[in-house]
Amino acid sequence: MNTDDLNFAYKVRHALNEKLDDLPASTTDRLALARKAALSRKKADAPVKVLARQNVLAGIATNFFAEPMAWLTRMSVVIPLLLLVAGLTGIYQFEQEQRVAELAELDAAVLSDELPLSAYMDHGFNAYLTKREQ
Amino acid sequence: MATDKELSDFLENVERRAFKQAAYAVRKEESALDIVQDAMIKLAEKYGDKPAAELPMLFQRILQNTILDYFRREKVRNTWVSLFSGMKPAGDEHEDFELLDTYEAEQGSSAAESSADQVERAQILDLIDAEVQKLPARQREAFLMRYWQDMDVAETAEAMGCSEGSVKTHCSRATHTLAESLKAKGIKL
Repeated sequence: MNTDDLNFAYKVRHALNEKLDDLPASTTDRLALARKAALSRKKADAPVKVLARQNVLAGIATNFFAEPMAWLTRMSVVIPLLLLVAGLTGIYQFEQEQRVAELAELDAAVLSDELPLSAYMDHGFNAYLTKREQ
Repeated sequence: MATDKELSDFLENVERRAFKQAAYAVRKEESALDIVQDAMIKLAEKYGDKPAAELPMLFQRILQNTILDYFRREKVRNTWVSLFSGMKPAGDEHEDFELLDTYEAEQGSSAAESSADQVERAQILDLIDAEVQKLPARQREAFLMRYWQDMDVAETAEAMGCSEGSVKTHCSRATHTLAESLKAKGIKL
């Protein structure tokens, strides 16, 4: 756009601005009310998110030699963990031994021929015996 | 991030021009007021935390979208109304005439209280106002955003959803159309 066009555009702008002053009071009042309504519903400023480093486990990031108490705090985490692992291992071992004992009892019963009568009615058991005889 | 005061000042500064923009587009003052209120609330609710410098472009985009929504709703409403009333098109024309009558009457009443010069000036302002309203919608939007709302070409393009070249073309055409129509009416600015 050349200068004449720009001048013309700004003269139109001036005329439009003058015309704004003629707006009826009812309209300007309504606009003011609308503005207040909008401001009352303004989006709250989002809280600024700052990355802050924090030690998850107490004592992890501290120097052992610099802080004598760090060793204690570290142990307060490690010892319960060790106890937990030891407990779980013990339970596993105990369960295994129980299972071995049960199997041993069953085997002893089969070998000493202390079988219930219902065992001989079992087709599967008969098939097993026949196969063994062959 | 715009403070409450910045947002308030911005809305106060822009509200009357926004009302006129909406009124040029929809040609109903009551609807234009509703549109401006909706646009202000949307801006505050959704973009109240944006920097103050971005508010003019965002507000214009919201305003234009709200005007488009209004036209869509009107289209749907008119479709349903015309289904039940064969007389609707005639009614629309009648409404237009009523609006023009009211417009002329307001013009006359304000002018009647003024002196001769003021009457002439007021009439010229009304003519300019009417000619701006007659501009094609896109040309009017571009012209008003660039020269009335003080937005630059890039901001106007973003608010209108078109290229910067299109904005320049719309502005240039709007200026020439206005100049010619005012010249035809014997008005020289």
